[in-house]
Amino acid sequence: MIGLGQALIFGILIGGVYALMATGLTLTFGVMKIVNMAQGAFLIVSTYLCYALWQHFGLDPILAAFLVMLPMAGLGLVVYKLVIERLERIDPGLTIVATFALALIAEALLALVWGPNQKTTTPPYFNQAIHIGGLVVPRAQLYACLLAIAITVALRQTIKRTWLGHAITAASENPEGARLVGIEPARVGAWIFAIATGSTAFGGAALSFLYQFTPDTQDVWLGVTLSVVILGGLGSVAGAFAAGVLLGVAESLTTAYVSVRWATAVPTLLILVVLTIRPQGLFTRLTRQDAAT
Amino acid sequence: MTTLLRRAWIPVALAALIVFPLVSGDIYYQNMLIVTFMLAIGASGWNIMGGYAGYLSLGNSIFIGLGAYTTGILAAKDHVSPFLGCFAGGLVAAAAAALLSLVTRRTRGMYFVIVTFAALQLFGVAATTASGLTGGSQGLALPLPTWSLSYQDWPFYYPMLGLLVVTVAVAAWVRRSKLGLGLFAIRDDEDKAAGLGLRTAVYKMIAFVLGGTFVGIAGGIYAYYVTFLNTAAVFDIVTSVLIVLAVLLGGRGTVWGPVLGAFIVAPISNLTSTSLGGADAGAIRLLLFGGLLGGVALFLPRGVLPVLSRLLPARPPLPVRRGQVPTPVASRVDSGAVLVVRGLRKSFGGLRAVDGVDLDIARHEITGLIGPNGSGKTTLFNLIDGTIPSRDGTITLAGRSLDRAGRPARAHAGLARTYQLPRLFGSLTVVENLVVPARRFAFGRLWTGRVTPAERDRAISVLDNLGLAPYADSSPADLSYGQRKLVELAQVLWLDPVLVMLDEPAAGISPALSARLADLVRSLHQRGVGILLVEHDLAFIADLCQRVCVLAHGSVIAHGSVADVSTDVAVVDAYLGDSVIPAVRS
Amino acid sequence: MTKRVLCCAVAVLATVLAGCAATTSSSGSGSGPLTIGMSLPLTGPNADVAKAGYQGYKLWAAQVNAAGGLLGRQVKLDVLDDGFDPNQTGTDYTRLISQDKVNLLLGTFSSLLNAPASAIAARQQMLYVEPSGGAASLFTRGFTNLFFAQPGTTASLPNLFVQWFAALPAGQRPTTAAYVTQDDPSASPAIAVFKAKLQALGVKTVYDQTYDPSTSNFDSIAAAVAHTRPQVIIQGAVGDDGPQFVRSLEKLNYSPKMLFQTNSPADATYPTAVGARNTEGVFTMEAWSPKASYPGNADFVASYTKTYGTPPSEDAANSYTAGQVLAAAIKAVGRIDQKALADWLHTHTVNTIVGPLKWDATGDPLGTGLLTQWQNGTLQVVAPKQAATSATIVNPKPGWSAS
Repeated sequence: MIGLGQALIFGILIGGVYALMATGLTLTFGVMKIVNMAQGAFLIVSTYLCYALWQHFGLDPILAAFLVMLPMAGLGLVVYKLVIERLERIDPGLTIVATFALALIAEALLALVWGPNQKTTTPPYFNQAIHIGGLVVPRAQLYACLLAIAITVALRQTIKRTWLGHAITAASENPEGARLVGIEPARVGAWIFAIATGSTAFGGAALSFLYQFTPDTQDVWLGVTLSVVILGGLGSVAGAFAAGVLLGVAESLTTAYVSVRWATAVPTLLILVVLTIRPQGLFTRLTRQDAAT
Repeated sequence: MTTLLRRAWIPVALAALIVFPLVSGDIYYQNMLIVTFMLAIGASGWNIMGGYAGYLSLGNSIFIGLGAYTTGILAAKDHVSPFLGCFAGGLVAAAAAALLSLVTRRTRGMYFVIVTFAALQLFGVAATTASGLTGGSQGLALPLPTWSLSYQDWPFYYPMLGLLVVTVAVAAWVRRSKLGLGLFAIRDDEDKAAGLGLRTAVYKMIAFVLGGTFVGIAGGIYAYYVTFLNTAAVFDIVTSVLIVLAVLLGGRGTVWGPVLGAFIVAPISNLTSTSLGGADAGAIRLLLFGGLLGGVALFLPRGVLPVLSRLLPARPPLPVRRGQVPTPVASRVDSGAVLVVRGLRKSFGGLRAVDGVDLDIARHEITGLIGPNGSGKTTLFNLIDGTIPSRDGTITLAGRSLDRAGRPARAHAGLARTYQLPRLFGSLTVVENLVVPARRFAFGRLWTGRVTPAERDRAISVLDNLGLAPYADSSPADLSYGQRKLVELAQVLWLDPVLVMLDEPAAGISPALSARLADLVRSLHQRGVGILLVEHDLAFIADLCQRVCVLAHGSVIAHGSVADVSTDVAVVDAYLGDSVIPAVRS
Repeated sequence: MTKRVLCCAVAVLATVLAGCAATTSSSGSGSGPLTIGMSLPLTGPNADVAKAGYQGYKLWAAQVNAAGGLLGRQVKLDVLDDGFDPNQTGTDYTRLISQDKVNLLLGTFSSLLNAPASAIAARQQMLYVEPSGGAASLFTRGFTNLFFAQPGTTASLPNLFVQWFAALPAGQRPTTAAYVTQDDPSASPAIAVFKAKLQALGVKTVYDQTYDPSTSNFDSIAAAVAHTRPQVIIQGAVGDDGPQFVRSLEKLNYSPKMLFQTNSPADATYPTAVGARNTEGVFTMEAWSPKASYPGNADFVASYTKTYGTPPSEDAANSYTAGQVLAAAIKAVGRIDQKALADWLHTHTVNTIVGPLKWDATGDPLGTGLLTQWQNGTLQVVAPKQAATSATIVNPKPGWSAS
């Protein structure tokens, strides 16, 4: 048995990583209510791009993420315009199918370009840790967690303080009303989708030095990120961060005190429990709009 | 000739499938067809819940897995023939389906998708962990078939084909029954369906169980066919996705669409994996599959079958027979209060939408409910009919407490309502829309036809009264806004309610329709039905209502005759104050 | 009238279906190339393994053909993809047998896929030589045509390490061990054997846990292991879980005296993933080593490297070995008779690049693999003596270094 303190540190750090992976999905799933099955694929595409920059130019993956962000945002824009916008009008169920198809296509293209072998980046901090007293704080996880906090704060500020943020809030809470004041929900949607996809660059960078990856790694992360957003409640960036940490801690404590075998089932169990008992998520309040529809 | 084609293709295709293994003797094609039958059974089963009721599940592999493991464990440990064991598998799958529908009864839309996805993963973990029973990660080996190789795979082929026929027959039967009518209503508007007295949770459970049972049996036969079970491969998300793909491709909600979809998807999946060579073959296969999936979603969103059936001649329209106008139900001459509401409260966050409302609706009066926007009128309706649960306050309808009753139970008690914007079931015809409401739940009635001849005659006469008989077999989308409001009112009449709540019945409709509507309300009133109506059109209110209640900020601030209330200072304040300072509402 | 049309339609459809079945199937016997069928997981989570395995098969076929083929016929491979899906594997082998009418079969990768494939081969009475799939459950189904083309199964995997361990002077022998394994048919049974054998030698078990194959985060597990301060860590590692666990140990700065991992340390990416200097002293078990001096091995390594530009992996060697086993049987029997080939293999020893192979009645090989250890950046064979490439064994394992 490891100490509770150590288990909590691991849990919080890995929770930060989960939150980082889920940042994009909080916006698409949370605000736009789009189930984007390609989130894992976007993440792993970012990972490969960061890996390529690290391998060819020796660029630190975290710095590389800032470069990768732009093409990813562009990709998000294209996907939104060509696929999402069109299908959301017909049947949101089809969006699930189409984004799942996108994930398959992305996996195939990655396999064609980089092959099926395991890859990883090893910046100097990848296997180092800071030892404080008897406690261990792995540097890689710490950086990923700080990145998660930074992005959460940045997204929150964007939503709270900028015109785009207000437009996003308006469009998600009341599309008809938003249209009346000149905000076209579809255009706002494109922006959200671009930002969401762009932000996967950071999750991707963290993934590149935390884990080994192959093109089909996307499956694993899709499940984790979905649970983070569902637990967090829709549209709440801070809620998603809290949910990530909750998930990480639950997993870490399960590993330490219950059974290693059940640790990977924790996200699944939490989803089931939360959705059957509190369908609106842990960190949101029921609003009048939710009730009326 | 075309009608002959239309009728003949099913027996022809079936006969060809029966004859085929005897003629060909190629077990590869038998294998491909067995896999296709399996997918078609899965797709048809899924379609009952996913297509008819609109609940997209990613958890159908659970039923395959439970059927397969039950059969496998019985065969490997207790030497039960898999051909018997598969029925036990079907039962286990049915039980799991019932349990799952119970757990997910409040989960809808994308959450349902995710819950079923999570449930699938959980079943996988549980099956791996229960290694004493399932062999865990080591897998479970079934005995090999013992019949002579000269029988090829017939003992798998024919049971699977038979099961497919049964599954499709059941799916077709459900679609034509009252159960199917209810499921389609649930797909279009579940809350409304519940408000019309459908016990939606029961409908969904039956749909789920029917879908799961056959898939479970098929899973059992399939287990024997593959002879080796592994939790990761059996409780597999990919199988679930293939099932969904087959249904979407073929045509959701149709009887033959899922089968057609399976006959496209399974061979393609098979051929791409067996025809491509080279180390990159896998990636190319994923690319093809992803492309197909995406292409279907983008370019054939309604599936192949609906597109195909447009090419075939349409069925002749049903004759419109007009029956006798039904004599009104014996009017209840009773002057007591039909609805009594005491201390009803509801808050959203910090906002008190309804704040201690007391209300008495008498049978002999038409009561109007007025108040500024945001004063809580619709929330009050939602609380009374059970759309929003409330903990504070009591509601009594005709002497029966409704506090613990769900929405369908309230409808059964005789409560009916209309909505601000009419909510009709878009995938049902006008007549079908009319006959959805039910004052009681009867299990046996679920299996009768969607619209019995008697119901049809009665419905046509009701529509005739409203001047809508020519639209009997049209889609609600072909009606004008006002006509839809009339049909919604007709649904309410069909329920034979004791209390009707009308939410802005006259808003946005022509004066002629408005007059017809007012007549209807009056005739209801004469039959002794209590009426509570929300309306902004004060002339309409003054014309109809004997009594008016005024709501502001969630409380009743005045009630009495129209004349009394319109001079009340508080009422004038509420209206003026609110329009001057709209910010109060946020 | 209606009935006649129906009958005609049925007849037409049935003939069309049967017709297309007939045209696509090729005749299998007689002259022409000898087709050998296999289904490989060219996509999915084990695609990296399969690619090397496929190349091993291709190299074997090319070499056989360059030497004049088998029974005077050229060898042609018929390769299908199963996406690491056992059901598809079954479909694929059914197709190979009934549709493509291949003359012979060769096996696929992992116990998961070989289980359904070997059952179909057994049912169709075809010889089945598999390059991988050492789970004990495969050899308890009474198949007489199944042969595992590796020196040992998971059950015999711990033997060499345990022998070396037992031979250490009592004072130097570690007394505590931690066991952690992925829930996988190729890993968890071997770890159970390890535990039983080391416990019999008086080694106390301080930690024993099995993790799910989808586990990605090993920090907590590693911390729990480190907390018990085991002198030996034995991990049943199948893929990236091996390096991932080591990376977590590195962060904790906990280095055991001995570290044994199944499979993972032999992966080409292992040194990059854990840091090149941190491989020092890590033990693993291999069916094959590029350095082993068995006849043909050096030539195999050279040809493979020349053809594909990368040195062969263990998987490539395993599929090459499976080919060698098949070829030996055909040459000895002199005809394609599935039963005769299986009978011959049950009674003879085959010399391959992984050493001489010999099987019991269930197809379970009667040998044991190679105990290898990372030394100065290369994986050296340290046991058995006759195959060893390094005379020394690093003990204890040095601590971790930062990069």
